[in-house]
Formats: sequence, structure tokens, C-alpha cells
Amino acid sequence: MNNMYTFDTSTLWAALPEIFLLSAIVVVLLLDLFLTKPFKQATYYLTQISLFITGVMAFNLIDQPQTIIFSGSFILDNMASVFKVFMIGSTMVAMVYTRHYLIQHALFRGEYFVLVLLSVLGMMVMVSGYSLLTLYLGLEILSLSLYTLIAIARERAGAVEAALKYFVLGAIASGLLLYGMSMIYGISGSINITDIANFAANADLASRETLILNFGLVFLVIGIAFKLGAVPFHMWVPDVYQGAPTSVTLFLSTVPKVAAVAMLVRILVDGLGAMHAYWADLFMVLAVLSIALGSVVALMQTNIKRLLAYSTISHVGFIMLGFVTGVISGYGAAVFYVFVYILMSLAAFGIVILLNKKGFEADQISDFKGLSKHSPWFALMMLVVMLSMAGVPPFIGFYAKFFILQQVISAGFVTLAVVAVVFAVISAYYYLQIIKSMYFEESDKDITIVAPMDMQLVLSINAVLILVVGIFPDFWIKLSLSLF
Amino acid sequence: MLENYLPIVVFIMLGLGFGAGPMLIGYLLGPSKPDEEKNSQFECGFPAFDDSRMYFNVRYYLVAILFILFDLEVAFVFPWAVVQSQLGWFGFIAISIFLFLLVVGFIFEWKHGALEWE
Amino acid sequence: MVSLSDYLILSSVIFCIGLVGIFVNRTNIITLLMCVELILAAVNTNFIAFSHFLGNEAGQIFVFFILTVAAAEVAIGLAILTLLFRVRGSIDVDVTNSLKG
Repeated sequence: MNNMYTFDTSTLWAALPEIFLLSAIVVVLLLDLFLTKPFKQATYYLTQISLFITGVMAFNLIDQPQTIIFSGSFILDNMASVFKVFMIGSTMVAMVYTRHYLIQHALFRGEYFVLVLLSVLGMMVMVSGYSLLTLYLGLEILSLSLYTLIAIARERAGAVEAALKYFVLGAIASGLLLYGMSMIYGISGSINITDIANFAANADLASRETLILNFGLVFLVIGIAFKLGAVPFHMWVPDVYQGAPTSVTLFLSTVPKVAAVAMLVRILVDGLGAMHAYWADLFMVLAVLSIALGSVVALMQTNIKRLLAYSTISHVGFIMLGFVTGVISGYGAAVFYVFVYILMSLAAFGIVILLNKKGFEADQISDFKGLSKHSPWFALMMLVVMLSMAGVPPFIGFYAKFFILQQVISAGFVTLAVVAVVFAVISAYYYLQIIKSMYFEESDKDITIVAPMDMQLVLSINAVLILVVGIFPDFWIKLSLSLF
Repeated sequence: MLENYLPIVVFIMLGLGFGAGPMLIGYLLGPSKPDEEKNSQFECGFPAFDDSRMYFNVRYYLVAILFILFDLEVAFVFPWAVVQSQLGWFGFIAISIFLFLLVVGFIFEWKHGALEWE
Repeated sequence: MVSLSDYLILSSVIFCIGLVGIFVNRTNIITLLMCVELILAAVNTNFIAFSHFLGNEAGQIFVFFILTVAAAEVAIGLAILTLLFRVRGSIDVDVTNSLKG
């Protein structure tokens, strides 16, 4: 017996949520196959239960000491656990909204839920990935599930085209990322983040080694920027958001962003933190371009999904600004922004889905006309979300932007902060436009809301949270800062 | 020296005989009424000589997709097989889990009728 | 003796062909898939060359996974392609532009 091949199964507890989720996916998939038509709803409930149990397991792993298992390729730390709990929580909320949409548009199929669970699994692997291999595999589990999810509305030409577009650009992004990874592996001699960090910390920053490291770094940054949807690698975002079924857009625009930020932290902060000066320059350009383009181009949109896509691009710019600072409080601000962005994005797409009815796809800004007459409560909710996205105090979006800008200024990038504020003010215009059409315009269409009570309830809580957390943001800010 | 090769010659002769004999008998005894359909390729084949830019039936893609997925499992099974005596039970359980997941995929495609041609 | 830099040059050439192919190609989506495969082949060459010259197996293990993921990726690409063919009756890139890029 060779000692090299022994494996300590007692370390498996650190990956318990992932293992449970995988088993749950198998059960849900098989059960869905054998369920007859009247019991199809069971898949939905089973999905929610699986997510809930996985979330509880991940929650119990918070505050465990940092553990690295599987020969250094899987890490369990507070960041991983908190991100997992947050991702699972937002997926559950997204699923509540999704069900209404799926039923209204006759897309309710078991595979939908299995694919969502699979992408959550991929994201959990990404968040806990501590070698280039696990990060890549997690990313691919996520991406492959998302391509398929978009194409699930297979009679819609727009959805299939969006899937194809996302697929091609996602494949290019993976290719670039992998090329960067191969360079990093070649120069550092390891795929483990720990070893790469050691190598980068001791590398002579003026030698030829750094040149290759830098070469790989550029590819990695491009790959990550593609996945985040930062300008100039944003071409897929508006098209995919518009073409995909709204429920998929809701999922796509929220939870995967957490995973992408986690991957960014693992590779660039944990792994190549010593090279910060090099990648911060790239990030600065990406961030400014994203904020500018996201704010300006959104002004001309008439489709709400496209508008929210451009708004996402500008939010991604703000998140990247947090990483430019290069200090722990800056990273914490970026993570806080991600949490806030997801809370707002869930609510915004939730309200878009709320307006959907059988055979009616609400995706134009004009569909919001006169909402305040028909449903004053949800018009108010949308008002809260839009003001928060625009960064108006006392809503949570204000604190997120404020916190980022504060860090940017204290890191010495005053011009950067001024530019960001200018474009944030410009972007406020289109958020106000939606509010205007809700409150001051009349609709010729009948907009009665047919959504089930559970969705209305969750959506209300979601929107109220934006206000409540905005008034008491301390806990979340402390939490975000404690992750680094 | 050369007589050592006699068994081989016998085997060659027997082999040729077994191959050619039934064909000859079939040719001599069987009825032969060729028509156009019978001379064409079997249902699942293409004409052997045709334009290289011809269209494939979309269903072939499905077969190709399923084939690729189940074909590549060998990439993981083979390295395991090489060192399985050293991996012991842990390796066996690991590969069993891997194959079990593939079987789940197989059940899924079977139930969905992806394996049926029509 | 083939040196490491020869492999790296080869792989970067393959990589560039794949990348340029994606951006230049305006006719067929199958060609796009092939270009993606080229990019991954370049990455694999890189990993194997590094692995050989470093005497470290991690790169070769990585290649195994890239190969399988690439297969899964192509499977999904082809599946999306057949769907597109069903809704459009064509797999040309030019026809698929109802979403403004």
C-alpha cells in the first residue's frame, strides 16, 4: 500500500453543503422524471427544501477555523460560508419569483429547477475553490447550467439566440481565463492558490518572471471582467438579459455576481495580492468605462430588461472600484456593494415578473405606466428600489455607493471618485423616468396583478429590507469587513 | 523446419473456407432478384459518394452529443484502472460515485426518449 | 531537442488563430465552435508543456478536466445550435441578429 494514495475522509465535513446539494440534485432529477403531471409542483418544493437544508449546513460552518482540504484545492473560511448562505438565500427568493413566471408562461419544467440547483452547486465550488482547477470547474458547472437555462424557452427565437450569444462569449471568456491560468501555472509551478501567493510574494518584481506573471494576469483579468460583464467585455450583457426569459434574467443578474466576485477575490486578492499594483490599473480603466457606459447608454433604452442590464454594468463598475483601493476596507466595501446590489436587483426583477400574466410579457418601461393607480403598494416598492439604485439616501444603495467612494477617496483617487459621482447623477435620470411613468402617466392596458400571495409577500419583504437595512447598515458593513 | 508452419497453413485454409463457403452456397442456392431499394445503402447510412457539403439530419447531432458525453468518462476511468490496486477501496468508492452520476444522466436521457430515433 | 519556448510559441499561434477565427468568422456557428476548441487546444498544449518541463503532474490533471469540460461545452453548443436551427431554419451568424448587438 502506497501512502501517497490514502485519503482522509474525516476532512469531508468541510464540503458537507456541496455534498448534500449534489445528492439532493440527483434525487430531484430522478424524482421529477417519475412524477406525473398533477404532482409536478413537488419539484419546486423539493428544490426549496434542498436549498434550505444546504443553507443551514453552510450557516453552521460559519466561524469554523479556516480549513483547506482536498490537497489544497478547497477552502472553508468565513468568506466562503457567508457567501454560500447569501447565495442560497437569494436563490430561494429568486425561485419564489420564478415560479410565478414559469406558470404564467408555461415553462414550468423540472429541469429548470435541477439546472438552477446545479448552477448553485457550481457557484458554491467557485466560492470555496482554492486552486485554479476547482475555480475553473466551478465556473464551468455554473456557466454550462446557465447556457441551458436560457435556452429552456426553446420556442422563443430571442431566448435561443441569447443562449447562443452567451455561450460563444462565455466560451471565449473561459478560454482566455484558462490561458491566463496556464501561464500562472507555468511560472509558479503550482495550481494551488497558496503556492501561487507564496510565489508572487517572493518574486522579483523587476525580473522576466514578473513579465510572464503579468502576461497571465492580463488574461485572468479579462476573463473575470467578461464574467462580471465589465466594459469593454460587456457586449453579451444587454442582449442576454433581454433575450432570456425574465425569470432566468433575474437569476443570472443576481447570484452569479457573488460567485464571480468570490473568484476575483480568490485569484487576484488571495493569490496575486502581491501584484495588486499591476491589476489595479486594469481595474481602474474597466471600472470607469463600466460606470460611464452603463449610465449613459441606459438613457436610451425602452426595454426595462435592457435598462436594468446597463444599470448592472454600472453597478459592476462600482464593485470594481472597491478593488482598486487595494486595502481591506476597500474590499469589504466592494463585498457590501455586491450584497446591496443583489438585494436591489432581486426586487427590481421581481416587480418586472410581478406584472407578467398569461401571454403577456411585461418588459417595456411603458408597461409600468399608471402602476400607482392599480397597485399603489407595488408602485411604492418599485419607487424604493429605483431610488435605492440611484443612490438616494436613506436607502441602502446610497450607503453602498457612499462606502465605496469613501474608500476610493481615502486611497487617494479623488478624480476617480468625482467621475463616479458625476455618472451616478446621470444614471439617476433613468431611474426617475420609471418612477415618472408609474406615477404621472396613464395606461391604456389593464394591469391587474395575478401573482400568488407568497410572491407578493416575499417581494414586499425584499423591498422593505432595502429601506430597513438602509437605516441600520452597521451589521452588514461589519460583516462584509470581517470577511477579509 | 518448414513443416512447423503446416498448422498455420491449415488454419488459413480453414479460415478461408469458412469465410468463402457460406457465401458461395448462398450465391448458388439463394434466389437473386435485385431491385433499386435493395441495392441502396441500408436505412441508416448515407450514399457513400456524394457532395461533401451535404446536409446531415439534425438527429445525428443528438447521437453525437450523447456519444461525446458518455465517451469521455473513459478519460477518468482509465487512470483509475491503472492505479486501482494502489488506490484500494477509496478509489473504488470514488469511481463508483462517478459512474453512479453517469448512470443518473443515462436514466434521465432514456426516460426522456432521447435514445429513440423517432 | 524541442524547448519549452517552442511549445509556447506553437500554443500562442494556435490561440491567436482561434481567437481571430471567432472575430473574423461571420458565416457559420459550427466554425465558431471549432475556434473555441482551438483556444482550448492551445491551453492544453501550454499545460502539458509546462507540466513536462516542470516535472509536475498538476498540469496534466488539469488537461484531463479541460478535455471533459470542452466536450460538455461542445455538447451544449450543438444542442443550442439544433434549437436555433429549429426556430430559424438556418445556423448562419448573419441571420441571428434580432437582438441588436
